[in-house]
Order: sequence, then structure tokens, then C-alpha cells
Amino acid sequence: MKKKLLSAILCSAMAVSALTGCGGAADDGGAAQTPAAEPAAEEEAPAEEAAAEEAPAAADGEEVTLTVLAGQSTTDAGIEDMIDAALAEKYPNITLEWECTGWDGEFHPKMQQYMQSGLPDIIIGKAQDVATYASQGLLGEIDAVYLDRGLDAARENVTIDGKTYGLVYNALYQGVYYNKTMFAENGWSVPTTQEELQAIVDDCNAKGIVPFASHMVDTWSIGNVTMQFMMNDVFNNTPDWGDQFRDGKVSFSEDKAAQTAYSYNKLIFDNTYPETFSTEQTDCDARMVLGEAAMKVSGSWSIQNFLDIDENFDFGIFPFPNQTGDSKLIFEPNIAIMTSAETEHQDAVNCVLDVLSGDKELAVEILDFTKTAPMLKDVVPTFPNPSQADIDAYASKGMIVDVTLGNNQLVWGGFQEENAADIAAYLQGDISFEECLSASDARVGSSSAQ
Amino acid sequence: MNKKKTMQDKMNLQYFLLVVPGMVIFTIGVILPLLLALRYSVTSWDGMSVEKEFVGISNYINLWKDANFRQAWWFTIKFTIANTIVQNVFALLFAVALDSGIKAQKVYRTILFIPCLVSAVIVGFVWLKLYSNVLPELNEIFGTNINFLLFGDGKTVLSGLVIANNWQWIGYWMLIYLAGLQSVPSDLYEAAKVDGASAVQRFFNVTIPMLAPAITICVVGITTGSLKVYDLLVSSTGGGPGRASTSVIQMIYSTAISGRQYGYGSAMSVTLVFILLLVAMVQVKGLKSKEVQS
Amino acid sequence: MAFIKRAGKAEDVNQKPYTLRTFAVQAVMTVVAVLFLFPLFVILNYSFKTKKELYLTSPLKLPDSLQWANYETALKKLNLTTTFTNTFLYTVISVLILAFLCGITAWAISRGKGRIFQFSFIYFVIGILIPFQALFLPIYTIGYKMHLTNTRYGIIFMYIATGISFGVFLMNSFMTTVPLELEEAARIDGCSVVRTYFVIVFPLLKPAFATLIIMQSFQIWNDYLLASLYVSKKGLKTLTVAIQSLFSAQASDYTTAMAAIVVSVLPISILFLSLQKYFIKGMTVGAVKG
Repeated sequence: MKKKLLSAILCSAMAVSALTGCGGAADDGGAAQTPAAEPAAEEEAPAEEAAAEEAPAAADGEEVTLTVLAGQSTTDAGIEDMIDAALAEKYPNITLEWECTGWDGEFHPKMQQYMQSGLPDIIIGKAQDVATYASQGLLGEIDAVYLDRGLDAARENVTIDGKTYGLVYNALYQGVYYNKTMFAENGWSVPTTQEELQAIVDDCNAKGIVPFASHMVDTWSIGNVTMQFMMNDVFNNTPDWGDQFRDGKVSFSEDKAAQTAYSYNKLIFDNTYPETFSTEQTDCDARMVLGEAAMKVSGSWSIQNFLDIDENFDFGIFPFPNQTGDSKLIFEPNIAIMTSAETEHQDAVNCVLDVLSGDKELAVEILDFTKTAPMLKDVVPTFPNPSQADIDAYASKGMIVDVTLGNNQLVWGGFQEENAADIAAYLQGDISFEECLSASDARVGSSSAQ
Repeated sequence: MNKKKTMQDKMNLQYFLLVVPGMVIFTIGVILPLLLALRYSVTSWDGMSVEKEFVGISNYINLWKDANFRQAWWFTIKFTIANTIVQNVFALLFAVALDSGIKAQKVYRTILFIPCLVSAVIVGFVWLKLYSNVLPELNEIFGTNINFLLFGDGKTVLSGLVIANNWQWIGYWMLIYLAGLQSVPSDLYEAAKVDGASAVQRFFNVTIPMLAPAITICVVGITTGSLKVYDLLVSSTGGGPGRASTSVIQMIYSTAISGRQYGYGSAMSVTLVFILLLVAMVQVKGLKSKEVQS
Repeated sequence: MAFIKRAGKAEDVNQKPYTLRTFAVQAVMTVVAVLFLFPLFVILNYSFKTKKELYLTSPLKLPDSLQWANYETALKKLNLTTTFTNTFLYTVISVLILAFLCGITAWAISRGKGRIFQFSFIYFVIGILIPFQALFLPIYTIGYKMHLTNTRYGIIFMYIATGISFGVFLMNSFMTTVPLELEEAARIDGCSVVRTYFVIVFPLLKPAFATLIIMQSFQIWNDYLLASLYVSKKGLKTLTVAIQSLFSAQASDYTTAMAAIVVSVLPISILFLSLQKYFIKGMTVGAVKG
């Protein structure tokens, strides 16, 4: 499950990077989280150029081999070769010994394993991992030289007590992807309220179009969309909902907003094809591209599939409407580079950070490959992304929000992931909605990583 | 008498010295981890932090109340029973069919056996594709309306998994039965025939008893293997839909690792080991006693 | 169905009369065989398609042209030479040591008299039932403390430790086939315990060793869990670990994944097909010794 989440995150990272590319003019429209894209345009090149020149001391030292544990998602696999190539060019004396695992299922077990024996020199995971592992005192602080080459917004969720432990590389976007051609043909406009969304759904049903493509065989996808719903209906108004939940002030059984978020799953389920519990992501994406469904609640991890099947597929993205009609598009910082607190080769590690944060060609290559949005300054990916215009529009209005807030308030592993299984059981008719809610309540002890 | 005793003691010591190396390796690699798990199971350890707080047997008490754990057991038991029955019956049936004098017996044997060379992770992945994409296509070709989406519904997911698991393993157990069949002395059949036993009677009165050792191996192997099912699920249903196909091992894994409740998860594994032991002992005892009778 | 049984080996199957009933059985088994082959056909078919074909055409349709590129990618990603050599090495060495160790241990247990030996047997057999997935953290902790992780001998040690249970159990069940009188005679001739084993018992256990070696080879060849725990470094990886990471990383890239499946299954299938006779003999001898 975790791998999928990872990929989800990665994808949203892609989207973010795409966003940054074009959407630098964003203002900070009062979002709870600072949108990743905003600072890009403001803080420009000078600092970065300077940084790039002061190469770390170990630049031409003796041969060093660094161990790297990479928790990857679907779209990441392969970037290790790109990094190797870029590193060989600048610091040929440094070799990376990669251990690539799926973030979703293998990364966390590997980390637990390495906690017994000592961490690898470099760990590549997700932004949300920083909170988990830095609190155990395992991660090293990242030098400001490299952090300064990244967007300021990238730091926020990887900083604990004023110290930053992760270099966030890219980001993904999440929301409702829609078939632009189909929307135009049927005269639908992008919905901002539940009523407008319902009208489209009704019209779809009347015309024999499947309103939503979905792939509920993947429990992670249920968990992912549920967090999207929670972001806009719950955390939007109550950013500390998770803390209140643990304090016993709110609960799923009593909180109307949380229940609404859960119940959107039913809306999707009732308005998707009947075989959703047998449909995988790629098949689901294919149906969307083939015009069998109008919308899909998803993230940028679908872009690769969309374009693989039909490079001319025209799609856009909008945030899933909430009750108050003020939903924000969700972005998620994705690849985060962390370092071991106890590495013996800090200089060499810094060289790697130097390449990762400073090599723009490498960055563009990786972003294009992963279809993600940059979290480094002045990096603009060149892959085509039809939904970019929508992303830019939301970003410029400040209508984007970092989902790390929600993921830190209510963690994925052991909580969201388990709740998603309950929601699936509810949709399958195995348990009632009330049982589903109280199961989430009973899991309160696992809702935080701390 | 006395002399004999000391002689035996001396021998015993030598025998025991031969047992020691294996025992040491086994203890380090298998028993120590189990003991560690036993220790973790009385703590609230999260698998990461330094301190492991002692909580007594509260993990075990919580297990009793854990509806999801019960459900995981229920699924695992159903899966095990279904496999034990289906796999044994079909393996035996196919073995009998192959042994009935059909041509190209070896070709069939090979074909049926090949799936078990594929690892379970791959099997799960392939059957997921089969159920959701490939088989429904048959409906379109033949104009039928069979529900192939077995992984998509909590009511059918068990059958879907049992089919996939049997596809993989039937050939393996069939081989064992086949060898058993071919070793049954023909005069036994002749004698039974002379006594006027019908084919069916001969099967149950001669074949089955003579196959007893093979049956023991197959039943114990299939049961303990099914109780430990995990690999097959990871790449197919992932335990879903909902929790309909979550096995005990899978639950242990997700609780201990992604759920950061290592102590609680350890309590689950200790419970599982205990039950596996019990089942195997009962089965071996029961089946062995049958073997002796025959 | 024809339940007429005869003694005899697979080779003299044709002694049985070919009746109409046999023909019916043949027909049924042919259908069964086709059903069993179907998933393999699907894997092969997918492995030669382009991504677009996968989505846009029927899954049963043959590919327009064979996409060997899928195989190129898969081979590259699997790093086949290294991973195959590793897997082969781990399997062969572990299995040979296992056979040696299990034989002598099981023999000693069955010949020794007293509770201690009964206890030893039960102690070993417990291991068959332990679900390693659930114990992976302690298994790693212990391995790390003993400097076994990320070494070739470490993983071999673990395969031996985890395989010994089944091995002792299996070999023990063969001990009744070794006539005690022979051993006693040897001993009267002045053979030591160890010598008795190697001179008298060992040769008699050959079929048992074949069973053990083959069954354990399977297990170790396909092992994922221990390999992923103990040998995660690139140069030490096994085939299963490599294919699993390819799998999880490329879940959406079915065509490459399917090609990788073919590549990974091919070596062991060829091995099986060419050694089939020994395979089957070895695998099944345990079931028939009675």
C-alpha cells in the first residue's frame, strides 16, 4: 500500500513542479500551507549561482562509496541512473551504492531494519518520512547552501524545531481530472460546489456516461481520495483536527464534516462502473482516456498513463468540491532527500546534495521522466501537461494546499490505510457506515507517528 | 547389563555431539528470533524507538477483542480448509487420471507442474490481470455472462484466490500422489479383484490406504502452507476488497510495520506460531495413526 | 474413471489397455492442460505487446509485432547475469550443506536413545511452522549483530538455519529404511559412530538426499523474504528480489513486468525440463517409501 501512496505523492510532486514552471506569479492567498510554487518567482537565481560555485571540500578527494536507500514509487524507478550519470560527471570519485525499494511496501521495513544497524548515508523517501525519522534522532541536518536552492515552501514540512532534515525535490498535484473535450461537448463547466458536481453526475447518468473512473481494487486509492476530501472539508476549517481527535474533542462518529468526507466515497462508488473493485489504476486510466468516464479523482501519477495511451488526450484538473464551495487544489511534496546523522562521509554526502540541488539539467530530466513539478528554484520541466493551465490558475489564486498537513495530523500507515480498508468494506456492504466511523475512532492510538 | 548401559551412554554422547552443530545453527537463526518476538510481544514497542515499555499480557488480551484479527483468522481458516480439500482432491484425481494409461502422460505432468516453478508473488499478479482483464474478454467472445471478477467482491474473493493457489500447486502435489500410485503393488489390486471388489471399492480400500504416507505429506504441507499465506495476496488483492482477504500474516505485517505496533504484531505472530504447532501436531498424530492401521 | 492400478514405473504406462474410458480421461485431461497453460499464454502474449496494444486491444489478441524491447528493458533491469549467479550460488551451496547436516543430525536423533533425542526432534520440527514474515525484525537484528547481513555466507547460513527443520523431519522419516543390523554389524567390526554413518548409512540415504535437495532448492530459489533482508546490496541480490523490486516499481508497466517474469522463470523451467526425471524421482521418493 505504501508504495502506491508514494507514487501518489510523487505524482503530486510532479504536478507541483509543473506548476512552478509556469505559475511563479502566485500570491500567497491565505492558504493554510504556503503553496510550493509561490516563492519560485520571487527568490531568484543569484543565491543559487553563488552556492553552486562553492563545491564541497571532498570534491576531489579519494574514492568514496556512499550507500543510498531509495524508497521509490511507480514513476520514480530509473532516476537512480540519471543521478549516477550526473554525479559521475561532477564528482567521479564518488560512487553511489543504490538500494531501491518500493516506498509503499518495503521502504519503511528497510528503515526499521537499518535502525538496528545504522542508516545508509543517504535516504531518499517522501517528505512525510522526515517527521517520522527525524524525531528518532536519525537524520542529519541539511546544509543551508543546498536548501537555499529549493523553494522555501519546500522546507516547511521537513523542518522540525527549526532544523531542516530533508531536501524536497519535487511535488505532485491531486484533484479531479476531467476530460476537457467531453466537458466542452456537454456544456459542463468546472464545478465548485457539490450541487454543481451533482448536476454533472446526473447529466452523465442521463446520457449513459460513467461519471467517475475509479480503481478501488487499490485500497491506497480509497485512502488517497479520502484524504483529499478530508483536506477540503475538515482540515480546511480545522487544521488541528487530528490533535483534537487525539484529545477526544472530535471524532468520526460525531463530526459531520469528517462524515461528509467519508461519504463522498459512496458518491464515487455509486457513480462509477460496477467493476471498480476489480479495476487497477492503469485500466482505470485507460477507460478515462478512451472516453468511457468523465472524471477521475486522482493525482499526477495518472498523467504518465494518460499520455502513454493517447498523447493528445486533453484533460484538466479541479479540486473536489467541498460543502462550502471553497476547495483548494492539493499538492504534495514528494521525493525528499535525507541524510544519516551518523554518516562517516559528510563531505561526500554534501557533494551528492550539491549535484541534486544544483544540476538543473538533471532536475529537468528527472521531472520530465517522473512527470512531476519542481521544488527547486528556476527549474522548468518540459513534458507536456494539459492540466498545467488549471494548476497555474489555482496557484495564482492561492487556491492550493499542501496535503502534508493532513498526513502529519493523521498518519498514513496504521491509520489512513486501515480506515481505507474499512471504507472499502462499507462500500462492499460488509459493514455499516456507523461501524466504519467507529472503527476509525477506535484506531485513535495509531493516528499519529509520535 | 551395566556394561551395556555405559556403552549405550557412550554412544548417546557421540550421537548427541552430532546433533549439536545443527542445533546451534537452528537456534541462532530461528529460535532466538522467536524468543525475541516473544519478548517484544509483552511490550508496547513501536519497532523504532529505543525504549520498549513492558505492558504484560495486555497485547494478548487486546487480540481477543480485535475484530479485524478475528476476521483475518476467519479468512485464513476458510482459505486453508478450501485449499486442503480442493488441492488434495484434484491432485489425487489428476494423478489417477494420468495413471490410467493415457498417452503422453509426461506432457500432462510437465504442464501441470510448471506453475509451481513461478513464485507466488508473480502468480498473484498474473491472476489479478486474468480475472479483471483477460477472462471477461471470453464472455464477449462466447457471448456468455460468467462473473470472472472474482477479486472484486468480498463474497467471491476467496474462490478467486483458491483457484489461483490451486493453479500453482496442484501439479506439485499431483506428482507426489502419482509416485504413490505407481508404487502400489499390482497384486493387491488383483487380489481385490478376485474378491469381487468394484473399481470404486478398490480405490477406497486399496489405493487410499496405500497412499497414506503421501496423503500425510500433502495434507500437512498444504495446511501449514495455506495458514501462512502471504505472498499470493500481496500482489493480487492486497487483502481486499475491504478486509475480505486479509490473512493473519498479512495483518501481522501491516500491524507491526506500517502500523508501528511491533509489540502488538509480535503477540499476533506468537499466537500464530502456537496455533500452527497445534494444528500440525494434531494432523500428524491423526494421519499417522491412520497409516499404522492400514 | 479407470481405477485399475498396476505396479510399475511411469515408463510402462502403456501396458494398460487403451479403452474408450481411457480416451475420455485423455480428453478431460487435455482440457485441464489447456486451462493450466492459459495463464502462461497470457504472460507470454503480454510480454510481447506495446503499452498501447495492452490498453486498446483485446487481451487475447496476439501482438502486431513482437516487442523484444520489453525483454531488453527487463534484462537490463534484472541485471540477470549477477542475480542469476547469486541465486544459483546461494541455492547450491546452502542445499549441499543442508543435505550433509540434516542427514547426520536426523540419523543421530533417530539412533540416540533417551528423552533428549525426542526433545531434539520436536525442537527442530517447530521450525517448519514458524512464519518468518512475522519475525523479520528479530531475524535481522540477530543477523546484524553477528555480522551476517549483506554477506554471502550470511544468507547461506540463514538458508541452512531455516531449512534444517524440514530437512531433519524429512530425513528422519527415511531412517527406518536403513536396516539397523547393518549398522550393528559395522560397529562390531569396530567402526566408530561417525564412520558407521559415512560408510553404511550415507549411501543408503541417496534417494532421501535427492528429495531433500530438490525440495529445498525450490524453496531457496524462490525465496523472497530472507534474501531481501540479508542481501540487499546490488551485487549480492537474488533474482526474486530483483524481480520483486522491478515489479513494485513498474506495477503500471505490465509489458516489461511480464517480460521479466518470462526471463526469471525461463532458467528454472529449462532446468526442470532437462532434469525432469531426477526431479520427479527425487521429489516423490518420500511419498512412496511408506
